[in-house]
Amino acid sequence: MKVTRLIQTRRAFASIAALALVTGAAAQLGSAQLGNMDTPAKPRATVLYAAEPQSVPAARRAVLELRFQIIPGFHINSHTPKSELLIPTTFTLEPATGVKPGAPIYPAGQPYSFPSVPGDKLDVYAGNFTIRLPVVATQGDHAMDATLRYQACDNASCYPPKSLPIKIVFTAK
Amino acid sequence: MLSAGIALVVWSGWQNLRQRRSAMQEQQNRRVDLVPDSQPAAAGDSSAGESQLRGKPAPAFTLLDLNGKKVSLSDFKGRPLVVNFWGTYCAPCKIEMPWLQEFSLKYAADGFQVVGVTYDSEVGKDAIARETQKLGVTYPILLSTPKAEKDYLSNTEALPMSFYVDKTGKVIEVTAGLGSKDQLEAMVKETIAAGGR
Repeated sequence: MKVTRLIQTRRAFASIAALALVTGAAAQLGSAQLGNMDTPAKPRATVLYAAEPQSVPAARRAVLELRFQIIPGFHINSHTPKSELLIPTTFTLEPATGVKPGAPIYPAGQPYSFPSVPGDKLDVYAGNFTIRLPVVATQGDHAMDATLRYQACDNASCYPPKSLPIKIVFTAK
Repeated sequence: MLSAGIALVVWSGWQNLRQRRSAMQEQQNRRVDLVPDSQPAAAGDSSAGESQLRGKPAPAFTLLDLNGKKVSLSDFKGRPLVVNFWGTYCAPCKIEMPWLQEFSLKYAADGFQVVGVTYDSEVGKDAIARETQKLGVTYPILLSTPKAEKDYLSNTEALPMSFYVDKTGKVIEVTAGLGSKDQLEAMVKETIAAGGR
């Protein structure tokens, strides 16, 4: 919410021309951030959100692309794991002023079997995956808090479910 | 007026960049570890936890079962035992548990016993009971505690983790992750054979 307040304060002073200018600058910053994320200095066992600012048309349906990265050697259950006993990956949003989100669109999973039981197929995400989020937003900058809940395994073991809080930053213009 | 307008545009841009940088930094700080400071486990990795408990007496525990009854390690004194930590979210655990069930019956005449300890006991007894019923498990299922996890699992969150305890109460092997059914049965036999007659 701190970011939201900052946006509102800034909006009181900024002109439309200024907004266009800073949007371009922010996009450059976002690229730099994403580049750093792709090449972490110290590889660790993590799931990352590629926090890149995005631009969408204002006041009409648009789709945000939320990109996540799972480190090599691990996978997480897809949104539709093949067993009801497994915890699906889910994405939830906090309400945000000026943004009407639609239902998140999850990617299809890929089949996976544990090496010792090759016939038992699961449905998982591995590597990079993208959740698409439809939105209708008023003109201006927006920041939404969201949470990705997932449960990860490697090729033999599983780890407790985790929640990854993220902040989605985008501009509607 | 023109210079004031330009100044406003520049100031606005700088403020926006600061705000975005702050949001991005906040996002970076929210990186969540799946398995801090560990690497993916090898299937049926018998080295996991080895330095902690292998060759030592199994840590004593008293835990509640799904009926609220207290069950202690000492209840199984003199019997070869597998203490199997599992979780309701853990797919490989659910592959392995029916195998453990099968071996608990197959080697019952040898006094062999399996005890399941549920790592995510916070999901509740009913949910755990439903899961174990679906898996056909009839051996004791206990609810973990922070102390039991500290004593047995140390800092790892990887499941399944199995501790093979011989008749003398000594941990003869520790395995992490899902191995093959044959590997598991071999370990069960070794556990039964260990510790003398």
